[in-house]
Amino acid sequence: MIVNLYPLKEFKLPVIAECINPEVFKGKSIEEIGRLEVWEGNKQRRLNELFKLEAEEAESSPEAPVITIHGDVSRVRRIGAGMKNGEIVVKGDAGMHLGEEMRDGKITVYGNVLGWAGSMMRGGTIEVHGNAGDYLGAPYRGSTEGMKGGKIIVHGNVGREAGAHMKKGIIKIYGCAGQFVGFRMKGGTIYVQKDCEARVGACMVDGTIIVGGCVESVLPSFTIEGLRKRVKIEEGEVVEAPFYLFTGDLTENGRGRLFVAKGPNPHLSHYEKFL
Amino acid sequence: MPVVKAVSCPVCGSLCDDIELTIENGEVVKVKNGCAMCEAKFLSHRSEHRIRKPLIRKDGEFVETTLEEAIRRTAEILAEANYPVLYGWSNTSCEAISVGIELAEEVGGVIDNTAVVCHGPSLLSVQDMGIPSCTLGQIRHRADLIIYWGCDPWSAHPRHIERYTAFAEGRFEKSAWRGYMAKIRSLIGLKKIRSAAKRLVLKEPSEIEARLKPTFVPSIAREGRKLIVVDVRRTKTAEMADFFIQVEPGKDYELLQALRALVRDQELEVDHVAGVPVEYLEEVVDAMVSCDFGALFFGLGLTMGGAKLRNIDAALSLIRDLNMRTKFVIMPMRGHFNVTGANMVFTWQTGYPYAVDFSLGYPRYNPGETSVVDVLLRGESDAALVVASDPVSSFPRKAAEHLARNPLIYVGPHMDVTAQVADVVIPSAFVGIEAPGTAYRMDHVPIPLKKVVDPPEGVLPDEEILRRILSEVRKIKREKTKAEAA
Repeated sequence: MIVNLYPLKEFKLPVIAECINPEVFKGKSIEEIGRLEVWEGNKQRRLNELFKLEAEEAESSPEAPVITIHGDVSRVRRIGAGMKNGEIVVKGDAGMHLGEEMRDGKITVYGNVLGWAGSMMRGGTIEVHGNAGDYLGAPYRGSTEGMKGGKIIVHGNVGREAGAHMKKGIIKIYGCAGQFVGFRMKGGTIYVQKDCEARVGACMVDGTIIVGGCVESVLPSFTIEGLRKRVKIEEGEVVEAPFYLFTGDLTENGRGRLFVAKGPNPHLSHYEKFL
Repeated sequence: MPVVKAVSCPVCGSLCDDIELTIENGEVVKVKNGCAMCEAKFLSHRSEHRIRKPLIRKDGEFVETTLEEAIRRTAEILAEANYPVLYGWSNTSCEAISVGIELAEEVGGVIDNTAVVCHGPSLLSVQDMGIPSCTLGQIRHRADLIIYWGCDPWSAHPRHIERYTAFAEGRFEKSAWRGYMAKIRSLIGLKKIRSAAKRLVLKEPSEIEARLKPTFVPSIAREGRKLIVVDVRRTKTAEMADFFIQVEPGKDYELLQALRALVRDQELEVDHVAGVPVEYLEEVVDAMVSCDFGALFFGLGLTMGGAKLRNIDAALSLIRDLNMRTKFVIMPMRGHFNVTGANMVFTWQTGYPYAVDFSLGYPRYNPGETSVVDVLLRGESDAALVVASDPVSSFPRKAAEHLARNPLIYVGPHMDVTAQVADVVIPSAFVGIEAPGTAYRMDHVPIPLKKVVDPPEGVLPDEEILRRILSEVRKIKREKTKAEAA
């Protein structure tokens, strides 16, 4: 079944709608789905008070329904939180905590997403065709339980602290990234194709960060290990270019690997005297 | 004329409690022992800009009204709102804040205090890392190394240095005041020599400089209490420091990480960090490691510059590393006199120190999502209550515009910018001058605030005003429930 959701208005208040989840929709009629509870500001509403719902049968009937949201839902938070299977497609912008703690399935956004997308993710895939906000794949405040699996692909730019506290999984950013990429990461891989602001890999203990563009600076608590001709991002994806390899963060006795492309970073050439 | 002694000053987070006030005809006429800010605050209670009557905006103009009507209108706005914000709280008593949180829960709003625009990042990092701290009394008596990072207490907390740190006469550590005076005298002498040499033109100026310079290099290795200042500019506090590190703006994180690496005896592969030569840093680290009791105070230069909350993360980690070698504590330099109290009361009642969202009926906390500045910047709120604060003059323009666009209630003593754009204005008494209460000093020590004069007629303390609003909101809700049932 494919469930189409059309926002009935432009949302002004924050909407918390963790019920927009294939797992929750599974086995329910469109009327039952419409009666699911959501919060708009401090008032409780039914899903059909905020969205027009339409159901259509898919040609191949997948196990869990496919949810398609048509329109701007940037004020709608926790879409697909904790999802275990199925698919969500957002044809517009999506709000905070998209796919928080998701375990499997796929979320595709043809627009931008706000902060904490894929927060504490365990598995599955999130693909964003626009930009992502701060704390991509990072835990919420106070938690150190970062991403433990799955894949996040962002075709645009991302904000601060992408992949903070990450343990496993992969984040691929085909645009630029803000500061503190991979802050306190313990494992997994982060690839930034373009430029990256300062403090990449701050306090990282393990894992790999690859930056293909210009890095503002490398922290003084990183040490250079050598030069590499190519770097493998994941199975079937290799970047053929000379990369500096740094290890750190020394202040945390870390052995994380930070690859920084040599070409766009002539200001790091002074490290070559240590090789 | 009666003199009231041992009054606590309701201005900054130092909460000096040795102020003496002279009262005449129910007004404070003389302030003793206080700094300039303290004196201005105690004398301002009789200011002509004081609000004395409740005001309601009608057809774009303020109209005087009764307190009952102002409270009724406030309660109606808050009870009808779908996502109200309740902001301020750091310039009032803990007792009033407690009622404010109850009100936020009742109306399902977002309640936040001024920590969101000052030490909010510090609180986030403290939650991640923990904080090794102590009372200011411990520092006064025992600390032999004081570091001020990204703050200028000489201007912002004028009596902090004199009462608690470098210039305080401790039981085990002597005041560095005499050393500072000697330094000032020598600097004046140096200036005179330079001026005389220039006038006489005996030698090339550069040659004179070269001869004079080595004599006046500050030494970190001297005996006694030492003061280190780290800042982006040479402030008044920096001038009295034994060692001043001028860090490049926004590069504090790099400097802190470099210090951490040096404390851990690691080699750095760079010559300069954040514009500071590594040899200088090594000297500072030697002083840090060799002290018996060190204290690091940090201000908004650290919390709001460059790496923001991660600066504090690095500072706390540095203190953790230093505690493996010696004794070191860290403390944020809190601004408003009861911002620490606001964090404390918020934490007792909700579990979180600021940015608490009650819209789902239970407290939720995720600064960036539930912090008032971000809520306003995204234009999500539909009403606001401001208590003892002036956010319109301090928030980003877009946030202030949204605040003014929606129904806004102001509770406070002054006709400030927020009061001028508000829809309902309720005057309140000055806590610590016209109303008693409790406030928390920056080291989490509760200090009682005294009532020394009576407030103007009909003006109530914040706590009483908030209790009346809360009671009115509950009444409106009961009426609504009855009407729905009928």
